[in-house]
Amino acid sequence: MKAKIGDQPSSFTTVFYYLFLGIGAIISVFPFYWMFVIASNERGAASHIPPIITIGNQFIDNFSRALEKTEFWTAFGNSVFVSTVVTSSVVVFCSLAGYAFAKYNFKYKNFLFFFVLGTLFVPQQLSVLPTYVIMAKLHWIDTYKALIVPAMVNAFGIFWMRQYISSSVHSELLEAGKIDGAGHFRIFRTIVLPIITPSIATLGIFTFLNTWNDFFWPLVVLKDKSHYTIQIALQQLFTTRDGLDFGMIMSATFMATLPLLIVFLLFSRWFIAGLTSGAVKS
Amino acid sequence: MSKMKKSLMLLVAAIMVFTLAACSSSSNSGTNNEKGTNNSSTTTSKEGGSNNASGESVELSFWTLGNTNYEDLANQYMKDNPNVVIKIQNTGDQTAHHNNLTTALSAGSGAPDIFQLEIGFMERFLAAQDSFYNLNELGATDVKANFLDWKWAQASSVDGSFQIGLPTDIAPTVAYYRTDLLEKAGLPTDPAEFSALIDTWDKFATVAKQFTDTTGIPFVDSRDLIYNAVRDQAQGQIYFDKETGEFIGNTNPQVKKAYDFTIKGIQEGWVANFALWAADWTQATNDGGFAVLPGPAWMLGNVKSNGPDTSGLWRMAQLPEGSGNWGGSFLSIPKQAKHSEEAYAFIEWMTAQEQQLQTFTVSGLMPSTFALFEAPEFNEFTDEFLGGQASAAEFAKAAERVAPIYYGPLHDQTDSYIKEAIQNVQEKNADPQAEWDTAIEKIENLIKRS
Amino acid sequence: MATAQTSVNTAVPKRRLSERKRDNLFAYLFISPFFVIFGIFGLYPILFTIYLSFFKWDALNPMKYIGLQNYQFVLEDSIFWTSFSNTLLISVMGTIPQLIMALLIAIFLNSAFTKFKQTFRVLFFMPNITSIVAVTLVFSAIYSNNGMGNWLLDVFGLDAVAWNSGWWGVKIAIATMIMWRWTGYNMVIYLSGLQSIPTDLYEAARIDGAGRLQQMVHITLPLLKPFIIFTVMMSTIGSLQLFTEPYVFLGQSGTSSLRSEGITMVNYLYSEAFSNSFFGTAAATAVILLVFTIIFSMINMWASNKLGGDTEG
Repeated sequence: MKAKIGDQPSSFTTVFYYLFLGIGAIISVFPFYWMFVIASNERGAASHIPPIITIGNQFIDNFSRALEKTEFWTAFGNSVFVSTVVTSSVVVFCSLAGYAFAKYNFKYKNFLFFFVLGTLFVPQQLSVLPTYVIMAKLHWIDTYKALIVPAMVNAFGIFWMRQYISSSVHSELLEAGKIDGAGHFRIFRTIVLPIITPSIATLGIFTFLNTWNDFFWPLVVLKDKSHYTIQIALQQLFTTRDGLDFGMIMSATFMATLPLLIVFLLFSRWFIAGLTSGAVKS
Repeated sequence: MSKMKKSLMLLVAAIMVFTLAACSSSSNSGTNNEKGTNNSSTTTSKEGGSNNASGESVELSFWTLGNTNYEDLANQYMKDNPNVVIKIQNTGDQTAHHNNLTTALSAGSGAPDIFQLEIGFMERFLAAQDSFYNLNELGATDVKANFLDWKWAQASSVDGSFQIGLPTDIAPTVAYYRTDLLEKAGLPTDPAEFSALIDTWDKFATVAKQFTDTTGIPFVDSRDLIYNAVRDQAQGQIYFDKETGEFIGNTNPQVKKAYDFTIKGIQEGWVANFALWAADWTQATNDGGFAVLPGPAWMLGNVKSNGPDTSGLWRMAQLPEGSGNWGGSFLSIPKQAKHSEEAYAFIEWMTAQEQQLQTFTVSGLMPSTFALFEAPEFNEFTDEFLGGQASAAEFAKAAERVAPIYYGPLHDQTDSYIKEAIQNVQEKNADPQAEWDTAIEKIENLIKRS
Repeated sequence: MATAQTSVNTAVPKRRLSERKRDNLFAYLFISPFFVIFGIFGLYPILFTIYLSFFKWDALNPMKYIGLQNYQFVLEDSIFWTSFSNTLLISVMGTIPQLIMALLIAIFLNSAFTKFKQTFRVLFFMPNITSIVAVTLVFSAIYSNNGMGNWLLDVFGLDAVAWNSGWWGVKIAIATMIMWRWTGYNMVIYLSGLQSIPTDLYEAARIDGAGRLQQMVHITLPLLKPFIIFTVMMSTIGSLQLFTEPYVFLGQSGTSSLRSEGITMVNYLYSEAFSNSFFGTAAATAVILLVFTIIFSMINMWASNKLGGDTEG
């Protein structure tokens, strides 16, 4: 693993570090905890003043109400499907493209790269209408294609992979591979890929997260209840006319958030794997 | 060789991704044209059986909003009309519901056969008459007389020739009040007496001040609701002129009256400092943080769920000088509908008296067919939460005190500027006149763009 | 393929050219998926938005050509400029402290002697996966007139702040929400970057007698530069396009999400389009925002490049 960096710090520094990290961690996790508190208490708990911060025992009740009102598991499955496909596709295509931008020299490279970046500059809110028109012409309204295909490769991923690859993959390695007669894909697979696993893990997490939480576009393009992704299904629980049943809403939200946690835990193992300091003496 | 193999693998992977995506979408419903017969839709409104593309059978798609019993009604209709299949798509999110229709209309495809249109979003669609069937041409003129005139007018063009929707439910505003708190201040608690006591706004203000001085509790729950209550009594138009569409908000006396009245309440301390829907407002419903809530019929649902411990302590009284209306829907038929006649037959049935009575009994939505107000099932409906008061009858009374009002396309945005001004006065002690002037300026800027 | 090997030493221009050509071919192949997808789904909306900015349109009726009038409306609208300054202010308040904190936390979590690394990583990332609804509920409660925020202020003897309507109150509230939500995210990015720095560099430096701080300044920061550029860029873009937090926070507490204290440029755009049905003006706003984003991104890129020397960005 990592060698020691310097000596062991003084105990003051240690305390400071842990205090800083600890307070930060508590602040970070508190709303998530509170979400569970509301999810496990009865209806009025959310607006109780002073706020309730202890866990109750109403989770199953609240969640079963949510299950009644929405097609939770169907939507859940839909989200898993869409998010997985998009994540796989993004990881593949963005790492290849990032690799090309980082390590190849081709005509118009810089211009093309700034073009890619430029696509990030446009706010998405207005794209809804014209994109819908395209989908209508393709007859993709209310299909998963409409959610997956436009998202299969994105500028964020390309930018990210390019930064990572350009800083962590040394050209000498690639040269060595070429001299050994390896083809382009082979070089990518055997030399580059093992080095960039942390970045792929990161990209995978972020992409999954974004796709899972995407609400705006699926809302416009999905019509039939059985096609809904989980965020839209959750929206069904928000009717102000009866007053918001926060216990029910939060229990459903909580269950919808668990996969993200799982994905994060799974992927973040890859952070640790992969890199040895061996290949290159810089 | 290995290079080709890799390229091939990548290609295969890409194809797989596409195929996967394509396969899963084979059971989609697409536009109105494609009939997904083996649809895994879980809405129960599909009649088992006669769903093949036989010449006779007609499929209608129906987008509904919120909690209604329309699915049950649709099922009933399908039993009586076996050649009609109704597929319902429901959402609780009003903005999304209407934006989805806008998108579909704009793109020229994807709109349903029947759309439940909420009054709050009516204006933009009224401005796009070309996208909807004129129900007057499908037979609506025959049923017009059954409905409350002000409600009917909400879905009509200014000259009345174009009707965009048939009325479903209404939401007249009343004053919900706490008997226990009124008692503390020595005020009468019987609905009729209390209504009489506050039957003009001046009297209302006096009672309010007296109450707050005596008990220390604000009389009214929020600035927004009390403003709405006074504003909605404008005769025929609020911010925009009915005939010309011009901005009249700054000269319309009722608007200024509503503003001044609310400011007065804030300054005299009898309008509570709660924001509508905020946690403290919700809490105050249960804790007795205010005595009166001037709200629409559906807000009773909120009061009930926000104030579970106060059951039996509330009653309804009539608002001073007339009632307003906040909410209510219509059933409309977009031009993209393939079967306009069958669709119209269905919505005429849906909005007929009998069905509206059913909706009332099951979902509590107030009917717009005023003949029902005489019906015994209606009149004798009592609500325990309101201490056994005949709530439906009270709402009916309020419904008959509502005057028709023209809103105009920029109503919501205009209103929000004024509400912002009021909030500034209440939360930041801003100068009411300065805030008013700023709001008017913003509105005039807004209008330049329209 | 096999023949390339034998002729490597033969300085034949033709051979090198075809290898070069092959390189280029593969490079274009690798980047083509993006351009294909973008060409179909990304380009049209952008062109449409630019086109739309010269028209008056409510999405339902025919478009009416009005030339540059939309731009005039927007640029003369004081509310737009308010949204511009709000966006800038909230961005600066929300991203600069955040990026610094994210970097510090990432460095701490990367240190050998920190225990429970995995746990901390998960905890710090939680805000990013927690639903916006839950978060907004919590923050609305904290920042309500009688909530925890004002209670804390009271404990320190300070006046209550109107978090939902005060000029600074709203901005601080939104900025803290942004910081809360995105620090963990940027921390994850920096952590990935830190992973890419070979440890023997640190060893060598330590042997040479460099202290921890020196190691950070001379090794970590320069080698992290591509990642710092990345986060600065993405944060710039993200904060210029800030929408959700003000929209939900201000909307949640019953106030309008268009309050002049908190309205951002995209809030403005969104309300023009979806509340007022002024799609043309909204499109003009989008184009103006695009221009601003280009300008600010270039400035920030230049600044990040200047920081920390001369490694390949």
